[in-house]
Amino acid sequence: MLHMKDLTKVYRTHMIETHALRGFDIDVKKGEFVTVTGPSGSGKTTFLNIAGLLEDFDGGEFTLDGVNVKGLSDDKRSRLRNEKLGFIFQGFNLIPDLNLFDNVDVPLRYRGFSAAERRQRIERALTEVGLASRQNHYPAELSGGQQQRVAIARALAGSPPLLLADEPTGNLDSQMARSVMELLEEINARGTTIIMVTHDPELAMRAQRNVHIIDGRASDLRRGPSLVREAVNA
Amino acid sequence: MEIRPILSTLLRSRTGPLLVALQVAISLAILANALFVVQQRIAVSQRPSGVVNERDVGYVFVRPLAQMSHVETLAQQQREREALKAVPGVLSVGWTSQMPMSRSGSSSSIRLSPEQARESATPAFYSVQPGFAATLGLRFVEGRDLNEADLLEYDPRTAGPDDGTPGVVVITLPLAKFLFPDATTYVGRNLWQGSEGRMKPMRIVGVVENLMSQGAGSLTGPYSVILPFRASLSFSRWAVRAEPGKLEQVLKDAEEAIRKAAPAPVRTFKRSVAEDRESRYRNERAMAWMLVSISALLLLVTLSGIVGMTMLRVAQRRKQIGVRRALGARWRDILRYFMVENFIITTGGIVAGLMLAVGLNRLLMAYTGMPRLPIEYMAYGAAALWVLGIAAVYGPASKAASISPAIATRTA
Amino acid sequence: MFRYYLLLGARSLRRNPALTALMVLTLAIGVAASVATLTILHVMSGNPIPHKSDRLLVPLLDVAPKRNYVPGLREPYSQQSTYPDTVNYLRSGPGVRRTAIYDIGGAVEPAKRDDPVIQLGGVATTSDYFAMFEVPFRYGSAWTPAHDERAARVAVLSPSKSEAIFGDVDPVGKTFRSWGETFTVVGVVGDWKPTPRYTNLTNGSGGYFNGEDQVFIPFKTAVSLELRSNGNTTCSRDSGVGYKGFLESDCVWIQAWFELASPADRPAAQAWLDHYAAEQRRGGRLERNAPNRLFNVTEWLEYMEVVRADNKIAVWLAFGFLALCIVNTMGLLLAKFSTRAAEVGVRRALGAGQGAIFRQFLTETAVVGIAGGVIGLLLAMVSLWLIRKQSQDLSVVAQMDWPMLAATFAIAVGAALVAGLLPTWRACQVSPALQLKSQ
Repeated sequence: MLHMKDLTKVYRTHMIETHALRGFDIDVKKGEFVTVTGPSGSGKTTFLNIAGLLEDFDGGEFTLDGVNVKGLSDDKRSRLRNEKLGFIFQGFNLIPDLNLFDNVDVPLRYRGFSAAERRQRIERALTEVGLASRQNHYPAELSGGQQQRVAIARALAGSPPLLLADEPTGNLDSQMARSVMELLEEINARGTTIIMVTHDPELAMRAQRNVHIIDGRASDLRRGPSLVREAVNA
Repeated sequence: MEIRPILSTLLRSRTGPLLVALQVAISLAILANALFVVQQRIAVSQRPSGVVNERDVGYVFVRPLAQMSHVETLAQQQREREALKAVPGVLSVGWTSQMPMSRSGSSSSIRLSPEQARESATPAFYSVQPGFAATLGLRFVEGRDLNEADLLEYDPRTAGPDDGTPGVVVITLPLAKFLFPDATTYVGRNLWQGSEGRMKPMRIVGVVENLMSQGAGSLTGPYSVILPFRASLSFSRWAVRAEPGKLEQVLKDAEEAIRKAAPAPVRTFKRSVAEDRESRYRNERAMAWMLVSISALLLLVTLSGIVGMTMLRVAQRRKQIGVRRALGARWRDILRYFMVENFIITTGGIVAGLMLAVGLNRLLMAYTGMPRLPIEYMAYGAAALWVLGIAAVYGPASKAASISPAIATRTA
Repeated sequence: MFRYYLLLGARSLRRNPALTALMVLTLAIGVAASVATLTILHVMSGNPIPHKSDRLLVPLLDVAPKRNYVPGLREPYSQQSTYPDTVNYLRSGPGVRRTAIYDIGGAVEPAKRDDPVIQLGGVATTSDYFAMFEVPFRYGSAWTPAHDERAARVAVLSPSKSEAIFGDVDPVGKTFRSWGETFTVVGVVGDWKPTPRYTNLTNGSGGYFNGEDQVFIPFKTAVSLELRSNGNTTCSRDSGVGYKGFLESDCVWIQAWFELASPADRPAAQAWLDHYAAEQRRGGRLERNAPNRLFNVTEWLEYMEVVRADNKIAVWLAFGFLALCIVNTMGLLLAKFSTRAAEVGVRRALGAGQGAIFRQFLTETAVVGIAGGVIGLLLAMVSLWLIRKQSQDLSVVAQMDWPMLAATFAIAVGAALVAGLLPTWRACQVSPALQLKSQ
């Protein structure tokens, strides 16, 4: 699904070069739920930005769902982002001017679906997150947990094979965080690959697999699937 | 208050301030040129005609439908004069071939000596009978008015090319000064008129302060010669002075009196000098009016631009202002910060605008024949925009200064 | 997708109605000012007879004495023609039609002495006039060359004068008394208002744009009645005795026209005029030896300075004002778009390319432009109406037409797009990664 080999990313300011990623390797298989952890400044966010095609990288290889990403134009990367990826942010990032329906509609519009198909997908996605009845509400009228559910619906609506989540529960209280997490696991169970950045060790433990980034390098900590089951039941 | 930190802030986010400075510059360029054109057009439309108390003077034009003989015409003129004098409210009447401000009339070339090749000037030729100068209220600065004895009897049916030059004339002071720049008195000097080889002299017997020619729009506007004629032209034009405030009624009665005095059907119309002036300078006044409106809108748009930009910059820096306030900045420190910032922007715009104004003026000179922009109009424009800038920024700046210091502790 | 952008634009504009109104209004007054001034210039400099303007020529000879000749200096001597030259032009000039025009004034003699006198202002011309300038007829037709030849007392009237004299009937065959003679009406002109009045600009009945010719009589008839020009007469020398002396003089007071079969015949016409002038010089005339000139309609309008310098100045200043309004709107849009950086970041992350963002914001700008255009058009119409009230001279030219309507829209939307380009470009530059990090 997502394959990075010997990836480097260097930030340059006037005088200083910062190596955000160096010799970074990761290989995420289809259907996996991978959590990414690491201390502040380790390169987590850089990894996520590159994985999400939001930022370019300087060296190494990166293939996403079989597509070699290196050197793609802005337009091609936008297209790829739209088709292959769904994003969930810590700050939800809903567009305040648009109601829930129109927020979920945003990526579908760029995909170019017909009106009927868009409506069907939006309604299905909102139903999945339990907010179908509130599609005419605006983000400001919802709680944080509900907003994040809308963001998840928006990420799912285009049926992308890979979801990228950046601290999706960081702005939520523990109750809401748990329900969002359960939702993500359900989605994963239905076949969508998920990569989630978090600094919450408890959440990190719940996934099949945890990748720990330190100083721009990844170290893999695998777990058996049975453990995950247990954690869910606990 | 230090200028340097303000400047460095401005340089870091420069698009907004640049746009405002650009607005100030464009405003100034247009404003200076527009004000100049407005002033010119107003000056033209208020040009003196030479007529004293214009609103009491008008004229009645009359043209018989059938042709009349020379003798009949002169007799009819006499009847018309008497009929007009009998109209209540008429103070004075005078026969004339043309009226100032009316746009119709004749002019002819004059020379200072019969041998001169090129003419000295081509002033308006007012053919008049005694009473004309008094009716218009022309002010004599030298010499005397024309009298009955000066009149040259003239029949266009039989007159040859050399019969149309009376012996004496009255001219306007501007024409006198133009013809004789070094002289102090003009009475007794001769002007020459007529065809080549057969020039005749006309002696100046009087000089009036002013009498506008029919070409009142041009530089040679006040160049007129008044000639004494008793001519049997196919029309008469009677200048009428009414008692103050009664002109409208007097002209109506005068027109009626002339119709009654006519032996056969006649065409007539009446007009006041004020109406002629109004229609003559309508274009000038329309132009002035239009440019004044554009200038007003211009200032309004610039004002909204400055207010908008200042509000935006205040909004972007709410937190920063709160922190400053928390750290001890006074109300007027904040106010002054934005005033100084705006002053720098406006001044930058004005400097650019002065150059732009000159550039625009050069373009207008090249493409429309507009004259060179005097420096004072740039000064007026610059002053106007400086005041506008200060006035515009005061509102948003004082609002910024009222931001509560408590905002500093919030995470916004 | 365009409908989606339109929807988004409308929604965003609705969210901030005061700012939107300010932008629309600013654009609208800028557009109104430039459109109003441009309309006047456009109508003033319009071609009144586009399909044959290059086949209609005005001949001009400089007839003034040599002694005060300054080459290149334009004088009133060189706006019209003398009577002797006109007679020669009519008899043997170039082209398929020739005519001569001069302004006449008179009145209809009332049947009873105390009845009101109906004034008549118009032109003396020849039968070719009506075909040359394609004058439509409501009743009857033009007079014939035979009428021209025998100086017949016939007349063509304007619709308004026909109605004033005869009432709302077909007056062909009826008579009226004027200039001491009885005239028979042969025709009434239809709806004909050339703008500018190019056929005889030097008229005494309203000038370049205003007024109309109310009566047309044969040229020879007017001359036989010893009518002088009611327009402009300029004499560079003294004339002889009486009307005969006037006719023979070098006074210029007649407007002459040639109509060529094809624009390609112009060199031949020029050759004819040069030949004619050379002949006259042998007879002692035209001593200045100035160039003999031909003007087609557009050249003639330019030579006569039909478009006043003031109108050009006004257009320049108004477009400067529009530039100001554009910069102002640019500032407002920049402010508006800068508050939406977060939205752009999200959209980019969700798969919108830079092109999509560009199109979205440009559509929003175009909505502002169209609104500004509509309001600007209304404002322009109001200001043209005010100008018409202010100035009689401008009352004919301050009229909107279809090309100007289209131009208004082009100016409005163009202005909005220029204003929106920089802010839109800035909005596209928002990088998705950067924006998400700061959330």
